[in-house]
Amino acid sequence: MTEWLPWWAGALGLAFTSLGYYLALGRVFGVSGSWERVLRWKSERETEVLDAQFAEMIAQRRQAAAASAAASGDVQVLERAPAVGGGQPPSGSGAQPAKAGPAHATPQERLPVSTQATFLAAAFIGGVVAALTSGRFEVRTDMGPDFANLVVDGWLMWPVLFFGGILVGVGTRMSGGCSSGHGLNGCGRIEPASILATCLFFGTAVVMSTLLWKVI
Amino acid sequence: MSNTRLHSTVAFFGLALGFTVSMIGFGDYGEMNAMFTFQDFRMFLAFAGGVTLVAAGFVALKVAPSRTKMIHKGTVPGSILFGAGWAISGGCPTIPLVQVAEGYVPALATIAGITVGMLGYRKLNARFLHIDSGSCSV
Repeated sequence: MTEWLPWWAGALGLAFTSLGYYLALGRVFGVSGSWERVLRWKSERETEVLDAQFAEMIAQRRQAAAASAAASGDVQVLERAPAVGGGQPPSGSGAQPAKAGPAHATPQERLPVSTQATFLAAAFIGGVVAALTSGRFEVRTDMGPDFANLVVDGWLMWPVLFFGGILVGVGTRMSGGCSSGHGLNGCGRIEPASILATCLFFGTAVVMSTLLWKVI
Repeated sequence: MSNTRLHSTVAFFGLALGFTVSMIGFGDYGEMNAMFTFQDFRMFLAFAGGVTLVAAGFVALKVAPSRTKMIHKGTVPGSILFGAGWAISGGCPTIPLVQVAEGYVPALATIAGITVGMLGYRKLNARFLHIDSGSCSV
């Protein structure tokens, strides 16, 4: 019999992860969003290069304006010069109001896409550590007896899992979040869209799981 | 924040997420089905308790809703598709990673499905649906 965390310890772990991430980085995480960004690696990197060039251009304008103001003694020139990072980067997607984050964070800028790959890889390693330390790690070619009893067994398991994955991939992107982005962090921030989405995906999973358990 | 420190910080919380999700039992299909069929409330309470603590934390930190998540025409159908996929495969996007980490090789099929689904939805949305589904702000 596997020993799982008691519910309160699991709740504390999830809350620690969510709130700690926010406090450290000034934003919330969403695994499907991370996944989507990693899949767009090339365009994300191109956007980051453009953003860096834009920031550098703004900085150069700021320096030139400051030098000009110092030479002429015109303080108004300095006041009119754009602040470094004060302009809107060309990408603009995913921007958030700066007031929402802690003082040390810069939530108007998205984290580099490489951090999202790091996040997913670390989640995988975290799973390995948990499985090894709890003695549950075992390489197996099935999904366990419950999956075999409730869903399907044998080779049919592979297309069923693939199909389920497609539904998850399409659904999370269509609704704009998953169990972490909508469920944990969105509901935690009392976002109406996340509360609606969580009720719907949880409710659908309840219906589908009950059908698998009782009917199919 | 330096690039190394940024990645280290992200990695720390990624590790914490994967470890917690695995230790709660989300990678086990039977535990997950027991949660969704209300045969066992432990995982449900862990999730609901986590959401409650996060909400309390955000209230204490005076964090307002981001307003990047709007209800749009994709919210309802997308959530229903996701819920169905989660019940069938046992995987929200984090869980298949954890399942593979625990040794469940067939969960690679779920990962492949999620990847194909996301890539396919991107093309479908760009060509036909035109839904602005917001951002997880990551």
